[in-house]
Amino acid sequence: MYGRRASQLLKEIDSSEAGQLAPFNSDIFDQVIRECNEHNSQFQSLIRKIVEQNLNIETTRNEDHYGAAIHHLSLLRNKRCLMAYMYNRAEVIQSFRWKVGPVLPHDIQEKLHFSEKEYFKNHSAAIKSYISEMDIDLTVDMVPPKDPYIQVRVLEDIGEVSLGDHSVSLTKNSLHFLRRTDAEQFISQVFYLFLCDILLSLLAIFSGNNTMLNLL
Amino acid sequence: MAGQSDPHLSMFSPSEVEFVAEDEIVDIVPNIRMDALNMICGDFGPFYPQIPTKVPLWLAVALKKRGKCTIRTPDWMTVDRLTQVLEAERESPREFQPLPFHYIEISKLLFDHARDDISDAYLQVPIVLKNCLLLVVIMTQVRSLIEDIRDVRFHKVETGLETISGRTHAVKLKNLSAMEVNIVRPFMVRTLQAFYKHDSPQMIQQADTTGSKPTPVTDRGPRRDLRRR
Amino acid sequence: MSSWDDDESAAVSAAEAATTDVELLRRAWRNEKAAPEILRFDTPLVSRVREQIQLLEETLDDFADTGVDDLVVSLYQMDLDRTLFLLRSYLRLRLQKIEKYTMHISRSDDLLSRLSPQERRFARSCAEIMEKHLEQSVLSKLPYGYDSVTRQSLSSTEDDMVPEPQLDTFVFCKTKSDVGAFQLDDIGEEVVDLVADDLYVLRYKSIKGLVEGGRIDLI
Repeated sequence: MYGRRASQLLKEIDSSEAGQLAPFNSDIFDQVIRECNEHNSQFQSLIRKIVEQNLNIETTRNEDHYGAAIHHLSLLRNKRCLMAYMYNRAEVIQSFRWKVGPVLPHDIQEKLHFSEKEYFKNHSAAIKSYISEMDIDLTVDMVPPKDPYIQVRVLEDIGEVSLGDHSVSLTKNSLHFLRRTDAEQFISQVFYLFLCDILLSLLAIFSGNNTMLNLL
Repeated sequence: MAGQSDPHLSMFSPSEVEFVAEDEIVDIVPNIRMDALNMICGDFGPFYPQIPTKVPLWLAVALKKRGKCTIRTPDWMTVDRLTQVLEAERESPREFQPLPFHYIEISKLLFDHARDDISDAYLQVPIVLKNCLLLVVIMTQVRSLIEDIRDVRFHKVETGLETISGRTHAVKLKNLSAMEVNIVRPFMVRTLQAFYKHDSPQMIQQADTTGSKPTPVTDRGPRRDLRRR
Repeated sequence: MSSWDDDESAAVSAAEAATTDVELLRRAWRNEKAAPEILRFDTPLVSRVREQIQLLEETLDDFADTGVDDLVVSLYQMDLDRTLFLLRSYLRLRLQKIEKYTMHISRSDDLLSRLSPQERRFARSCAEIMEKHLEQSVLSKLPYGYDSVTRQSLSSTEDDMVPEPQLDTFVFCKTKSDVGAFQLDDIGEEVVDLVADDLYVLRYKSIKGLVEGGRIDLI
């Protein structure tokens, strides 16, 4: 049946999970392109036949006319499927810029048509130039922010430490609110020192939830 | 490929709905003295110990986490009020009781960050007398009441979906909350869309057009009329 | 809790809230998220918010120098983070919409006029990139007469291959104040009475004007 192969491409899009990409199906894709060209040559030869019989192409309603119409419509359908296939894939591919970043990992690269690779590159460049024109990074803060601070209690004297633009004195048993990122840096450092067998200090990290303590 | 609307584009993620809810104003009782905060999102304070004041929920939670205030449980979040709401929800199958637009998110945030304050409002007893077990009981009660209210309301939405037909141009959902909207959105929109498409007169008309030129196929969906019930 | 059950003070607090630019931006963000088509970019609003962000960033730097209490710093930092998220998310949302309907938008002066100058440039290059991609992957392999990116074939009399948003999709909306009797269709068969704080699911097309006029919020 005409148009069946092309619809397989769309079924593939439909059955893949949202935001996921199946490998480019060049097998079916090429077959559909071939079908298109066959439809066209059939269409052309039927039209030629009508013309050669000196019939009016506008008004003739014989079997050749309907045959030509079927080939034309099948070609249109194939074209729509091919375009929808590429377009839907392109939408997933452009979403990778936001989800994955400007460089695609190998396993995604492998699934792309050569033109899709180029598309991703050009599209990323367009986003990049928008971002630099606006002077605001849009690739961070993808989810709403939560309180970035956590409460820490210092178990052993650490002393004066510099956290970004200011310094904090981490004395034993003192309580502080530190940015989670700052504190994490610290823990790993402490952990590192610990590994080096220099027992210095430990930070106790609570999730910042005082009520938790009250309950316990 | 023309005209496919993307349901994901118009969906708010649960964390986005919560983000919006965090701007709702709540009453807190600070235990510190702090100057007024002139923030981008508004001016709040000055703060004096034991003097109630209004702040956005995110600020209330931040102060609470830092041990600088108690959050006053909203009137609607007490066991008494919620019990009334639940009864009323059950009694009126065609409408939703008025609750804050963000009642689900607000109650979740308060459960997560201000559990001890929730029972305070209900019990009206000094903190020293507060019994941990009782506290947990009340917490659980408030939480399960809110869950029950949610369930009853969702059931109403579901029943409401069944009454949608091709003639439905508008659905009124007065008092439906933000999170509820977000959850029913995909079903609701898809259902209305489907009926609208099938019922639209222009979809039914264009069936017999075989002109001299092959007609371009338009993407307008199926053209058969639905049988009226 | 804000007095949700008290109409008068609810109206007052709503009016108060509407005065902050963040509130306006949040409304724009929500409307943009829920509307099927791209809405008008509010250049003055975005630049005002950006100024406030910059101001607060400077203030926070000063705080670091003058040793302001950690608590206060952390609260202002959260205010900054929230505003930045909202702004970024809003701009990103618009880019994603432009990406989605790039060919449609870049062909309409009306739609292009809703974009910021930077978005317009983005839209144009997106359309170019997409067309080039479709051209080299599909169209160049199709027979003559069927190789247009915007039309199905030479016999199409109009652009019938350009993906465009479905304006008759249904959206959830909330009225801010009384709108009164409102006609939903062209022939006046369907009329709803929109009163303040009602929540409706309606066809976007029919309330488009109310959204643009700021009389109704999409949610």
